Amino acid sequence: MKRRVIIKSAAAAVALSVFTSAGAMAENQTLKIGFVGVTSGPAAAWGISNQRSMEARAAWINETGGYTIGDTTYDIEIVSFDDQKDPKRAIAGMEKMAQEGIHYVVGPNVDDGAAAVRPVAEANGIMYFPYAFPKELYTAPASNAVLGMVANYQSGPAIYKHLMENEGVKTVAFIAANESDPLSQRDGGVAAAKELGLEVVSDNVTYQVDTTDFTPVLTPVMRTQPDLLVLSGVSPANAPQLIRSARELGFQGLISTETAQDAQVLREGAGDLANGFISVGGASTPELASDAMREFVERYTDMFGEYNDESNTKVYALEYILETLKADPAAIEDVSVFQATMDSFEAPNPYMVGDAKLRYVGMSSFGQKRQVAVPLVVNVYQDGEFKTLFVAEVD
Amino acid sequence: MEQILANGIYLGSQYAMIALGLTLIFALMNVLNFAHGQMYVLGGFVTYTFYGQLGFPFVVALFLACATLFVLGALIEKFLFGPVIRRSSREESTMLLAAGLAFFFDAVILLVFGEKQRGVPKIVDGVFNWDFRLIMPYDRILICVLAIFSIVGFILFMQYSKTGRALRALAQDRTAAQLMGVNVDRYSMIGFALGAMLAGLVGGLLVTITGVNLGMGGPTSIKAFMMVMIGGAGVISGAIAGGIILGFLEAIGLAVLSQYGDITYLLIFVSLMIFLAFRPQGLMGKPWG
Amino acid sequence: MLKLSKTQWIGLAVFLGAVFVAVPMTIAAFGRTDLFFTLTSVGLLAIASAGVWLTFYIGRINIGQGAFALLGAYVSAILVTKAGMSFWLSLPIAGLFAAFVAVLIGLPILRLRGVYFAMITLVLTQVFTLTALALPITNGAKGITSIPLPGELSLFGITLIPDFATLGNPRVAFYYTTAALMVLTFAAMYRLVNSRLGHLCRSMQQNEELASSIGVNISYIRIIVFAISSFFGGIGGAMFGSIAQSVYPSSFQVADSVNFMLNCFLGGLGYVFGPMLGTLVLYFGWDLLFEFGKYQLLIYSSLLIILMLVLPNGLLSMKIPGLSPKARSGPEVAGKKEEPGQ
Repeated sequence: MKRRVIIKSAAAAVALSVFTSAGAMAENQTLKIGFVGVTSGPAAAWGISNQRSMEARAAWINETGGYTIGDTTYDIEIVSFDDQKDPKRAIAGMEKMAQEGIHYVVGPNVDDGAAAVRPVAEANGIMYFPYAFPKELYTAPASNAVLGMVANYQSGPAIYKHLMENEGVKTVAFIAANESDPLSQRDGGVAAAKELGLEVVSDNVTYQVDTTDFTPVLTPVMRTQPDLLVLSGVSPANAPQLIRSARELGFQGLISTETAQDAQVLREGAGDLANGFISVGGASTPELASDAMREFVERYTDMFGEYNDESNTKVYALEYILETLKADPAAIEDVSVFQATMDSFEAPNPYMVGDAKLRYVGMSSFGQKRQVAVPLVVNVYQDGEFKTLFVAEVD
Repeated sequence: MEQILANGIYLGSQYAMIALGLTLIFALMNVLNFAHGQMYVLGGFVTYTFYGQLGFPFVVALFLACATLFVLGALIEKFLFGPVIRRSSREESTMLLAAGLAFFFDAVILLVFGEKQRGVPKIVDGVFNWDFRLIMPYDRILICVLAIFSIVGFILFMQYSKTGRALRALAQDRTAAQLMGVNVDRYSMIGFALGAMLAGLVGGLLVTITGVNLGMGGPTSIKAFMMVMIGGAGVISGAIAGGIILGFLEAIGLAVLSQYGDITYLLIFVSLMIFLAFRPQGLMGKPWG
Repeated sequence: MLKLSKTQWIGLAVFLGAVFVAVPMTIAAFGRTDLFFTLTSVGLLAIASAGVWLTFYIGRINIGQGAFALLGAYVSAILVTKAGMSFWLSLPIAGLFAAFVAVLIGLPILRLRGVYFAMITLVLTQVFTLTALALPITNGAKGITSIPLPGELSLFGITLIPDFATLGNPRVAFYYTTAALMVLTFAAMYRLVNSRLGHLCRSMQQNEELASSIGVNISYIRIIVFAISSFFGGIGGAMFGSIAQSVYPSSFQVADSVNFMLNCFLGGLGYVFGPMLGTLVLYFGWDLLFEFGKYQLLIYSSLLIILMLVLPNGLLSMKIPGLSPKARSGPEVAGKKEEPGQ
């Protein structure tokens, strides 16, 4: 094993030095930001939209001369690690980030990965921005995770409340994939709905992620005739099929989810049947998007050929990291400074029109500021694009 | 009740087609093709490209999907499975090759077609609704009928064509078939290509209903394995029976057990294990595959 | 004690030296501390793969090791978090419990052979995942999180293993623990393969009916081997749960079961140390290709296919001068001792 390791370390070291020297040729210093998430296999869509958002933003920054933090201007380099949605790999990924001297990492994308990397991140002084909702990740004594988006237990109640008041929704049914993340989100949604006084008529129907025909899955749910059907934690691949099956079964009520979706996928997969589908988005609807957001979408599209609407929610994490570092440059090497800065940090939100702010929230959910304040933009799908239904804030 | 039956037939027919290709390859070469699901996804993406993107008629796109997979299957047999089977001391070793292929296809599909779920325009609009007792969109009915025709066509082909007879002889006894003058190498290749083509055909048919994404491959393979086990490995009729049984199990289980939520599939899996423990060769299989 | 030849003793010494001294020193010299975790993973996955290899040894394709790894992880996690038990006690219990469950499940399913056994074990993995999602004691979808690090292990007041939480770098401690476990596992495997039981296993691998007819109690041997195999799975899983300090239903799933099997194929089914080398190459290979970004999977799978074309009987079937050229599994297992050190 010895010789093998030496050879491999040597090879890795060479590869690494090639990498860094390439970076050093540019005038600016390089600031590495990590990404650990799933970019291959069945769930690739989640991580790829994430990674590409970061790469598109980094390329944009570098093209326009770099990012100035304190007295130094940096080129941003995104170091990505594909964890294949395996918590064991996610740990390896986080170790790799620590090895590369990276202190700020976006990801992982799922609950089990986010929980598994926690010991590594806390031992090595890494702040990480998971897209996973379990509260214990963000509640003390956990210290290094920052929720990178709006959690379902925050967006769900807002959506249900809106629909109760504006659409007269009284009964709700939940359906979720039989996997950790969607099931947890369903349980959170059910609790929130009950608290709001909604009648939950069905909450135990689940489906396998690999389901190809949702008609038998949905038939018993449809029999309960809910006003609102919530697709808890639905993946973009399953959403159009579920919507289509529900509508074809004659469902007339509303359908919503608390995850981000892609308009193109909905259009191809469900067509007009998806009209009225409510989901959570970022800020790229025409009414809300700033010029910066439009430019981001344009650059993303140029770079990767096609935009993914899921990226609307995923553009923020990198921006938050950089802006917070700018607020106190000492945080580049020391995450405790970062953590201290988070309490008071505030900066304008470049992606949204109006005077929206980037700041950290989460006091009411976690008892400490461990969440980015992404505007809670609730979208409704109509004829191939998203329209803003309403915008809310999370505290 | 009518709805459960209809769901069962629909699911069963599509499952049976997936299982057919897998069992054919297994019968001929004793290869458990882990990449079968990926071939199915590939068929879906080819159809998506020609029908959904380039605007070819659906039938043409479907034909192209079949042709692509047929050629691909032939090449894979000729250059990968054939040599490895000849040279490895334990034939299970081909599992590693099949798994490697599955990863390879996953990577290629991701690079070429992207990570998103893709769908194509419906081939027929409208929903058949019999008094809310039986609801079935017309495109599903059409696909179901097409699937059944394909299965019947395949059986007839295997039964009466010269190639079909040769393939059956090969599946029954490789050495004897060779002694009888069957060109084993040639027909192994044709058989593998046919199996791959069947996967592509189902992918192409189903893309009109479920759409396609790169994640569907692995789970599809596993489902296909289960159907093959139920019916008996390497037996054509067994694969069809297995597919239909699994389709009905799902349709009935989901209808009857829905209020218990998480346990439908658990029960299906457990009962499958119990069934196999009592009947190790499946419904119609030869003992020990 | 086994009688080892002189070269084998040297091989063993080199191997132990490499694992316990040279590798940590090399890592320290290069400053690549992330490799501690990677190599720990390799070690743990190799332990679980060793179990799969054992079932191959009696002629069964086992795609169910993920189930037992998951079981082990949960047993240890539940004992540590809910009963407050020491991790060091929960570790063997996790293994034994996995072995016990393996006996219960093995009784009916070990009668199956070939692809049927492969498939039923594959289904078993899914059954365990779904069960973990459905049961209250496993905390369902939410998993078990915030598992404490292994505590102190002392005997008569003498500290044998220090409390991991007090260590500056628990990863190094996990590495040594894993290395020790791996060495024990493979020593046990080597012993087993060269024992009477090993000979009986080989005879079963060739022909069960024949073995049975000469008076081998094949069903007894099958159960024993399957239980040992699952014991390894349980141990590997429990250690992983402790490192991640969390267990989810998805901690070990079908993909893991398949990978355990692939490790054995890649290393070579005829060689005791095949699973170790296979795991190292498969798991480490992925990490090494990290630099290729989005082409990582493409290159990884291409290499896998090429390897299979060149060495269809596994890496260890590479012909090395001075060693038996026979590629068949069995008797020359003993001659491959120094392989993993390469």
